Amino acid sequence: MKNAFQIILLLFVYTYSSNSSAENNLVADLSQDNVKISTNFLGAKILLFGAYDGIQGDDIIVVVSGPKGLVTVQKKEKVLGVWVNTKKINYINAPKYLHIASNRDINEILNYKTRKISEIGLNNLNVRMQPGENISTKEEETWRKALTRNMLKSKLWSLDENSVKLNKNALFRTYVALPSNVPTGIFNVKILHYRNNKLISKERSTINVSKSGMSAEIYNIAQNYSTLYGIFAVLLAVLIGWITNIIFRKI
Amino acid sequence: MYIYLPIAEQPIHSLAILGVGSLIGFIMGLVGVGGGFLLTPIMMFLGIPSPVAVASVANQLVAPSISGVLSHWKKGNVDFKMGTVLLIGGVLGSSIGVILFNYLAKVGQLDLVIRASYVIFLSIIGSLMFVESMRLVLRKRKGKITRGKLHQHTWLHGLPFKTRFRKSKLYISILLPILIGLIVGVLAAIMGIGGGFIIVPAMIYLLGMPTSLVVGTSLFQIIFVAANTTILQASQNQTVDIVLATLLLLGSVVGVQIGSKFTNVLKGEHLRLILSTIIILVSLQILTDLITMPSDLFSVVIRK
Repeated sequence: MKNAFQIILLLFVYTYSSNSSAENNLVADLSQDNVKISTNFLGAKILLFGAYDGIQGDDIIVVVSGPKGLVTVQKKEKVLGVWVNTKKINYINAPKYLHIASNRDINEILNYKTRKISEIGLNNLNVRMQPGENISTKEEETWRKALTRNMLKSKLWSLDENSVKLNKNALFRTYVALPSNVPTGIFNVKILHYRNNKLISKERSTINVSKSGMSAEIYNIAQNYSTLYGIFAVLLAVLIGWITNIIFRKI
Repeated sequence: MYIYLPIAEQPIHSLAILGVGSLIGFIMGLVGVGGGFLLTPIMMFLGIPSPVAVASVANQLVAPSISGVLSHWKKGNVDFKMGTVLLIGGVLGSSIGVILFNYLAKVGQLDLVIRASYVIFLSIIGSLMFVESMRLVLRKRKGKITRGKLHQHTWLHGLPFKTRFRKSKLYISILLPILIGLIVGVLAAIMGIGGGFIIVPAMIYLLGMPTSLVVGTSLFQIIFVAANTTILQASQNQTVDIVLATLLLLGSVVGVQIGSKFTNVLKGEHLRLILSTIIILVSLQILTDLITMPSDLFSVVIRK
């Protein structure tokens, strides 16, 4: 049933795109553009699909980037026999979520220069260090790689170079996985259509990730009425402790 | 069934947490101490960020402590005067502890300090407890039960502001329990423990309190230290996960009751021998983690 629905949608998108003008020859849609983190949230898998006006050999690259913010990379060193965090570098505009997907190796689709200029690829993002960080260019690369490696490990960053499926040079689809530890905010989705290293068309969309239900309520109360929240947490514990004592006294 | 923790911001298996809670509660009920110092490392091992683990465990400790105090109170095993003096130090200490906790988190050394404190205190207390209970086990086996003086007098007992604690049959300086409470309070806030495993030996060996009163009285003061830590952690750092804490405490309050029913089955010194072995093993495990080279020297912290 769900598959049938998707096929109909794809057909609809396809017809729509063939009729449209040349400037807008890439259309895309998401199976879900509003992700709610509620008490039973285990992550989300979103279908991204659409149509493009392509010829054999064209490529599609999808970049989904979450809210940007401060990310600290720490380095451990051995001090008196114990491994201790001794150095840190702050990155001020690192995306807290990043997913790059394409139909084949990005290095084959784009040359080095285009990758750098368009900031496509895990190591081509323009992530800035906090002003005042004083390290050599060579060291900078080590830290930058450490950032990428650790973000990949936490599943918040991902690179999937064979996940965009193309069909008859007209349809594409891919899945965007949001892990359970995904940050909240507006996620920008960029779909790029390349031909011989040149951008033919592009489309943008957004995914809104927000907390909802009980889990959102609790989070908001903990943030906005933090002292009351703490007192309530204690009272709840007191109550439960007291009740169990009464119950077990009777047993 | 998975449940999403709103503050830790990750899903966790609710039955696993209930199970861990009841196991820890069982040990607490059996031995009288040892909730937090096992629970906090387990939570961190399950991937809960250490600030959230420490604060939420403090929250959950309130419930089994209340439940335990009520049982001990009925048996007349709580010295409320001593408990109150201890908790004055404890509340002060845990407040200092939360401030220190904040500072350490800011400079990025919180994990290290938590782990190092665990190694130091667990190994000291574990070894002392092991030696003591081993000696008792061996002595009883020989059939010689010697009763020495009620307690040793040291310079600690010469401090000013002497007060009489009728219930504990003590006439000691009020500064000593306040100081003990203070130190334990600081550790409680940083390590996410009630501090029972430190305060119980301190009450026996430093204050010279009768053993029958020690557990009830320490539980009494833990309620207030844990409550103070919870409220301060919630208001200062927003790290108390009420869902995690409630799941843990639902397990632990039941476990405590079951555990306390088994106290007559096992002998006290045997229990302490088992517990001290666990404590030593846990401390060795954390020590190993600290001294082995991490697979990646770099790590990442995503700020809010």
